[in-house]
Amino acid sequence: MTTLTKAFEERRKTFAKRFNWEYFLLDNLTGSRALTIWVTVLFLVTLGTFIVQLGVAPGRTLILTLIWAAGIAMVVAGELFGLHTPISRWLKDNLLSSVSNTLVTLLILLLVAQVSSGIWHWGYTTATFDSTRTAPDVRSEGATWGVLWGARKLILTGTLSPEHTWRVVLAGVMVIVLWLLSFIATRPSIKASMGYLQRISIILWLMAPIAAYILLAGIAPSEQLISISTLLTGLVIVLALMGLLWFFKVITLDPVSIAVWVLAWPVGYLIWQLIGRTGLFPPINVDEWGGLLLTIIFAIAVNLLSFPLGILLALGRRADVQGIPGWLVWPVAIMATVYFLATNTPELWTTSRNNIERLLALWPLLILIVAYFYMRAFHGNLVQAFSVVFIELIRGVPLITLLFMAIVMAPFFSATGEAIKNFWAVIVGYTIFSAAYMAELVRGGLQAIPKGQYEAADSLGFNVLQKYRFIILPQALRILIPPLAGSVIGTFKSSSLVALVGMFDLVGIVRGIIGNGQWLGLRSELYAFMFVLYFVVSSGVSWYSRRLEERTGLGVR
Amino acid sequence: MGQISATPSPPTSNSLVSRLASYIFDVRFLGVLGQIAFIIVLILGARTLFSNFAGNAAKLGEAQFICRDGSFSYRCAYDFMDNEAGFDISDAPLEYTNTDSYWWAFYNGVLNTFRVGLLAVVATTILGTLAGIARMSENWLVAKIALAYVEIIRNTPLLIQLLLIYFSIILALPDIKEAVQPFGLPIFLSNRGLNLPWPLLMSSASAWVAFLVLGAIQFQVLWILLGKREEVTGHKSNRLIWGVIGFIVIASIGWFVSSSVADNEGLLVARGSRIREIEDIEKIMLSRAGVNHVDDFKTLSDEKREEVALKICVLRDSASEPNFTNKLRAMSIPYDVDRAGSPDRATADFVEGNCEVFAAPKSVLAAEIATLENPGAHLIVPIKETPVVWHIPHFEGFNVVGGYSMTGEFFALFIGLTVFYAGGLAEEVRAGIMSVSKGQTEAARALGLSEAQRLQLIVLPQALRVVIPPLISTYLSLMKDTSLGLAVAFPEMYLISQTLLNQSGRALQIMIIIMLVYLSISLTFSVLLNWYNSRVVFVER
Repeated sequence: MTTLTKAFEERRKTFAKRFNWEYFLLDNLTGSRALTIWVTVLFLVTLGTFIVQLGVAPGRTLILTLIWAAGIAMVVAGELFGLHTPISRWLKDNLLSSVSNTLVTLLILLLVAQVSSGIWHWGYTTATFDSTRTAPDVRSEGATWGVLWGARKLILTGTLSPEHTWRVVLAGVMVIVLWLLSFIATRPSIKASMGYLQRISIILWLMAPIAAYILLAGIAPSEQLISISTLLTGLVIVLALMGLLWFFKVITLDPVSIAVWVLAWPVGYLIWQLIGRTGLFPPINVDEWGGLLLTIIFAIAVNLLSFPLGILLALGRRADVQGIPGWLVWPVAIMATVYFLATNTPELWTTSRNNIERLLALWPLLILIVAYFYMRAFHGNLVQAFSVVFIELIRGVPLITLLFMAIVMAPFFSATGEAIKNFWAVIVGYTIFSAAYMAELVRGGLQAIPKGQYEAADSLGFNVLQKYRFIILPQALRILIPPLAGSVIGTFKSSSLVALVGMFDLVGIVRGIIGNGQWLGLRSELYAFMFVLYFVVSSGVSWYSRRLEERTGLGVR
Repeated sequence: MGQISATPSPPTSNSLVSRLASYIFDVRFLGVLGQIAFIIVLILGARTLFSNFAGNAAKLGEAQFICRDGSFSYRCAYDFMDNEAGFDISDAPLEYTNTDSYWWAFYNGVLNTFRVGLLAVVATTILGTLAGIARMSENWLVAKIALAYVEIIRNTPLLIQLLLIYFSIILALPDIKEAVQPFGLPIFLSNRGLNLPWPLLMSSASAWVAFLVLGAIQFQVLWILLGKREEVTGHKSNRLIWGVIGFIVIASIGWFVSSSVADNEGLLVARGSRIREIEDIEKIMLSRAGVNHVDDFKTLSDEKREEVALKICVLRDSASEPNFTNKLRAMSIPYDVDRAGSPDRATADFVEGNCEVFAAPKSVLAAEIATLENPGAHLIVPIKETPVVWHIPHFEGFNVVGGYSMTGEFFALFIGLTVFYAGGLAEEVRAGIMSVSKGQTEAARALGLSEAQRLQLIVLPQALRVVIPPLISTYLSLMKDTSLGLAVAFPEMYLISQTLLNQSGRALQIMIIIMLVYLSISLTFSVLLNWYNSRVVFVER
């Protein structure tokens, strides 16, 4: 008995040593006026939420509150009587460190429980998953997930005619096989024993876009098998390109690579024509593509196309070439101004109807203004001027304006006045937009390279191409992995905007599905599905980029 | 960057040819030559495009450049904008009918773009800062929820978020008849949007504002004087509290003075109505309804209430309406409002007997009374006013009227933009605060600065330097993304321009205007950014 009292007495003493009401209140409630008000408001809000929740879902609320109270009890026991367990210590550090934190914890528990149970109720408890029970009159009150299975054809490939589905599947299989191949090839053990595998996978990846194009767009069979002029023109272009790169010492020539370069075009051309002849892959109208297929095509094509264009623009923006000298620019500008002022302005001025038109009649003065800014801001450097103006103009307008312009304005500016396919118009508009943003990213990467690297390359006698090819770009691109991944995700996400200009990508086709009598009004299900899909893919890409970053060792400095 | 040119190799012989060759093959010379060639190509390309356009414009859209007299001229490109628009705008910020011009419709769209954009900018700043701070909260749950919010928002397209918010949340809200009223406040949330109480300024507000300015001056003077005394005596003088109290005192004196002196509001009534002052209305209504006490008005049946209701004419969107009806509601008198577009219209209604009283500023009423056939039979009854009057939304039939109303489309776009951009901003805010090294905080504490001083003098100036540049680009992107109003049918500039385009077929002209507007918005933000960057020059360590 005495030992028990003694033990109790000891505990009481430690309690008194560990706990002091005055300090507790000072720390948690009365420390400052703001703290008092904050805790009071928080308490009232939490109490209100608790009471409301108790009315809505008593069981859930009580259980959560009991768990919360148990957590408090554990922490109190741990703090006052030295009975800490790892769990109670974690709770104390992270959730229940002060009165306000404790209240916030309960408030958030209750709110999260309400939101997630609401979603669960709609998406699972009261939902139907039967793809035959989607008509408006047999739906349950919750989600009708059957629409996803029922409309799978539309969601995946849109309006593409079913006879071509096997080609899409084949393209998908091709990508998966290639990915597996490169995955296997980069395993350390395989890399050591079969080094050539990686080379093969890289070559196959490079060929993949062409194969995908043949599969998805097809080749129109041509009348004659070989057109000599096309063959020769192509060959000359390839050889000229090779010569240029060789001249700038970007590539070296040995018998094998010469053979590859010389044969690449004729062989490729011949194979292309032969495949066209077989009629295995008849051409598909690109505007028939739709659904997820179109979204993926946009995301990949635009990213691939805008990348080189973006690098070019970025290099252009930083180009340090000798500008056109002022003694050349000014006379030309002044002469042009005077010429147009003398020939064009009088006519416009005399026929003008109001002051705005009178002002516009003086447009030749604009030449002088442009020349002034050109010389002042760019010192006559046209490459830089063009890149800067292009990038800033594109970045200044919303994407849908550009897409719309590409679709609507294209026929006005084409020589024949015929509309090009919407798909190509959107690809062009979107690539230009994406390239402008990519250019700014790449510029950031280029700026991050220390100046010494540029100087070192110069002092080693590298020419411009070599300098960028061997010194600058490899370093810049490594720095650029995270922002580039962000941009890839951004392009993928923004590709949903093409729906607003009438394309039937995932979002566009979903709008069509919602309007379909069988699935009329099943918006939330489809939107939620797209939401999750985009989220999974985007998070996947950003996770992969982080892994890539770790692998290239950039994270470790 | 190093120079691109390789200096010409020294000429081996001094002959003219080799000298010339060494100049010609100089990279600088070739570069300039290339740029000149590029300019020529650009001009030629532009010429080709323009001539293509001129050819196609005649072919594709014959009416593109037709003047009003039927002739063809490029100078008439924008003549069509004076034509009658012929379509309605569901949420026009200014007075707009479908007989107004295209210009007016477009201008309304531009205003809508700014309305939703600027409101979202403010809300994004607040929400983004809160979320950024929550990301660093010591409460694990709060930090994780903020993280989940940021990750989910940043990894899904804005378009789908907008569609979800509009179609799955806003349109799923209850009907206007069962509008949600959070905490019983006069806030109505329904599938038609949101109605909020909104303060309206009466004409006496100018006098009150003068008092507010006086209060502010008082605050400043007190602040400086007490501050000097603090310095001299070393005693803390609570100058903030005294300043605020003084300000409140002056503001409330100003409130009472300006509301008792003000004599701008009036009621136009017929002499025969026996209304001589506003309290008479109560007596008249009591006898008309046949009840003894104002509280009994509530017990009347709906039909009876409608029958006895006081018929009021007001000008649409005038502050006189809430000023008068708030008083009627305080007396629980049933009334029936007829909103007219112009004073003449309202007077006509009044003369026709559609309403018993016409509430408006006295100056308007005096002008209207002069136009009546027998001015002597009418008189103006003064109504008391306060400088600011709350316009409180309430049911009128099956509609909620009054206050500041956001349509569902506006609300969806506003919420969507705010939630999306706040997710990005949260990360920027976090990065900014993290960029201030811990040593700075410790140094501030070591110097004995208070927490507020530490934030104000040490942390914020350094964090803002990092936060503000991305913040401004966020704002710019937000302004551009208001064009997604198209997806939720909010009539902002882009949607209106689409309608204009469908109606008129003038693609080029309309594209040029909207490009110019967007470019000037982004130019403004760029200038702002450059100005800030030049002010806060980053000092390289």
